[in-house]
Amino acid sequence: MSKKRYAIVLDTKKCLNCKACTVACKFENGVPVGDETYRIWVTALPLQGEYPNLHQEYQPSQCQHCENTPCASVCPTHATYKTEEGVVLVDYDKCILCKACMTACPYDARFVSEHHKAVEKCTMCYHRLGEGREPACVETCPTKVRVFGDLNDPNSKVSKLLASRGFYQLKPDRNTRPRLFYLK
Amino acid sequence: MAAHVEKKSLFTLNKDIPAYPFIILGLILLAIGGIAVLQVLLKGHEAVYGVTREVPWGLLIATYAYFVITSTGLAFIGGLGHAFGYEKYAKMSRRIVVMAFVILLAGFTQIGMEIGHPIRLMIYLILSPNLRAPIVWMGVFYSIELVILAIELYMVFNPDKVSHSASAVVGFFALLVGTVATSNLGYVFGSLNARPFYHGIYFSTFLVISGITAGAAMLMLIHNIVYKGRIPSDLEDSMTALGKLMGLGIGLMIFLYFWKIMSSLYTEPKGAYEAVLAMLKGPLSVNFWIGEVGLAVVLPLLIIVFTKARNMKALGFAGFIYMIGLFFTRFDFIVAGQLPPMRAGYEGSGVHTTISGLAHYSPSAGEWMIFALGWGVFLFLYFAAEKYLNLETEHH
Repeated sequence: MSKKRYAIVLDTKKCLNCKACTVACKFENGVPVGDETYRIWVTALPLQGEYPNLHQEYQPSQCQHCENTPCASVCPTHATYKTEEGVVLVDYDKCILCKACMTACPYDARFVSEHHKAVEKCTMCYHRLGEGREPACVETCPTKVRVFGDLNDPNSKVSKLLASRGFYQLKPDRNTRPRLFYLK
Repeated sequence: MAAHVEKKSLFTLNKDIPAYPFIILGLILLAIGGIAVLQVLLKGHEAVYGVTREVPWGLLIATYAYFVITSTGLAFIGGLGHAFGYEKYAKMSRRIVVMAFVILLAGFTQIGMEIGHPIRLMIYLILSPNLRAPIVWMGVFYSIELVILAIELYMVFNPDKVSHSASAVVGFFALLVGTVATSNLGYVFGSLNARPFYHGIYFSTFLVISGITAGAAMLMLIHNIVYKGRIPSDLEDSMTALGKLMGLGIGLMIFLYFWKIMSSLYTEPKGAYEAVLAMLKGPLSVNFWIGEVGLAVVLPLLIIVFTKARNMKALGFAGFIYMIGLFFTRFDFIVAGQLPPMRAGYEGSGVHTTISGLAHYSPSAGEWMIFALGWGVFLFLYFAAEKYLNLETEHH
């Protein structure tokens, strides 16, 4: 039986840095306010080109939901695990807050949640997926930077985008095989 | 083999041993640590500790490593005495075992206060252990080490009830499990995909070597304190043997240090290179050059070489400064590997970096107070044992 393999494809050239995704994520998931408590972020990359022909790109990012998950490998209690659809989640009740997953994650995608008393991260809004809804960051993006879908379905938007456009993944040297794809 | 046998009872009041100042100091440190424990329980780890999203492991992981690796180093030296017949070390076996046991407990206080849910850890290590996770094996090996040391404690205080062969077998396992536990601790760090500084065999080896050296240093220091610098003549050979073991250990540390740094500079592996530079000329450079190189390598080695490990007071001093230097070694090891950030600190990234592009970490008062708790546990329990137990090993 073919399982779903969820992924997010990002077209960063469409990003306005409006931060709607980060706000939506905080609202949807009750992420606490704070400098270090965020599940997703939008980085303003350095200016490129020479004056007056300057341009800037933004890079929205989050947990990469890696196929090879260094966070889950080092978790002593299986608190970090991967669903059959490839979504990496944290079982808050099993997390002992050893923070090994935070030190192992090459994307700095995790933080300690005072609310959950556990390590927290992006869940791809897993609670929405069963209802056929998209992650909050995807749903709210005004320019549709983010596209969410099933890699196993050749007719899904993500599969079509990846088939038709060039893409890259973050830190390929870490061999984590992320499920976030950035269009070139 | 010494033939002298003089039975003493286990419990005694050793008037000559200057233990009270250390017991009192231990109690003060325990009180300071106790305040921090209360703060952590009331306010939570995040409010009390200075660790960050970028540097999640800080001082307490360093002091945990400092204590438990010293314990396994002591167990290794004890094992040399019991299992391999190194009589010079066997003559100190009671002190070795008591010290190893107590310093392991001190280490457990550090990891116990570092981990957010230590009780949950014990539950889920049984219910749903991830056997791929090196931390699971760290827990297993250090727990076994504690049990073996407890058995050794029984044996060294009841030599009449224990055969030589049983003592040798237990001593061998203390040595073996200690080595496995410490090298596995190197693997705990080496298994972190994101931190290339820790990768490879280097730290697994380095931690074992520096731990054995720390065991020797602690024994030389404690014997000098207990005997007020006047080491009994029948222990002088043992002290000299420890001094030579320590000299050898430091020599190996230099060897490992040098090639680790050279290879990191030569190939510039991303993450590891920045970590090494942070130690050589970055935010950890004072720690590295004065603490690690000066106090843990150069000075103690010079003392050992120039005294030929025959000046007892000098050996005690060498042990003392080595243990101070080793603290910097452990701290730098933990922190340096995490200073290269996973993402550049550009606007909006949420990453906090210094002007040099590195993450920043500075221990909080609460973390130092938990560090005091570890020393409090060690000083109080160990010197209470010195005061009220007979730690002179009976020759057998």
